[in-house]
Amino acid sequence: MSALNDGSSSPRSQHASRCFEDLLESIIVDVASECHRIARLGLDRNLEEEEEELRLSAQARVADPGSSGESNSKNVVDIFGQTHPAIASETFNCMNCGRPVTAGRFAPHLEKCMGKGRKACTKATRSSTIARNRHSRGSPVTVYAPYSNATNSNRVPNGTTAGEEYTDYTFEEP
Amino acid sequence: MRASINRPPTPDPDEEPEKELTLQEMINIKLIESGEKEKLMELLRERLIECGWRDEMKALCRAYARKKGRNNVTVDDLVHVITPKGRASVPDSVKAELLQRIRSFLTSVPL
Repeated sequence: MSALNDGSSSPRSQHASRCFEDLLESIIVDVASECHRIARLGLDRNLEEEEEELRLSAQARVADPGSSGESNSKNVVDIFGQTHPAIASETFNCMNCGRPVTAGRFAPHLEKCMGKGRKACTKATRSSTIARNRHSRGSPVTVYAPYSNATNSNRVPNGTTAGEEYTDYTFEEP
Repeated sequence: MRASINRPPTPDPDEEPEKELTLQEMINIKLIESGEKEKLMELLRERLIECGWRDEMKALCRAYARKKGRNNVTVDDLVHVITPKGRASVPDSVKAELLQRIRSFLTSVPL
């Protein structure tokens, strides 16, 4: 048996590679088509939420310097002699969705981004849940079934370096 | 009609293709007919979902849609956005597994 890379220029390997690229191309078109659908139908509420969050964080920042006063609790000095604004205004990137987020708005952002309850949870898991279920069950599954994925999500990818843990478990939060 | 009844049918210029199938096309046909292509697709899809590849591609699409405005994207745009990164970021193990299966299919089928 020749090694994996040995026959890479042999006609058989070339045909195999062509077949693989063919398959991959179909899958790419699938993904693109689905994302196109999500974008055009406005199913991904995150698309417009970012502006909403920016607006809210801008409001929060504006509200702060507007309330000054000597014995105002907001201007209390801590033991290191530092004052902190009431609403944290530092910006960083959310580790879940990668978007720039204001610290003071992080908790509400996480709620929407990771899925707190019914609405966010089901809409966010819909496509990956259905896709997972379709491929492993072969039967139509209702949307409200994130917990029946237990058997699927325990599968560990073989030696792949790509996955960060949470991408498999993202929407499994009870 | 006295003319030869056995006259071969007039060659129709549209009807040629049958004898000119390339080997690649024949392979493709065999893959589809035997149902193996479908199985390979499912396998590849499953592996790519497991390793997070699909989520990465969807994130790329979302970022692009956000930039361009969600009503201005076309499927074509998204395909062009995903394809280079997509092809490059398939994990080696997944690719090896699929190639292995394809190759063993090719050896098992008379060509």
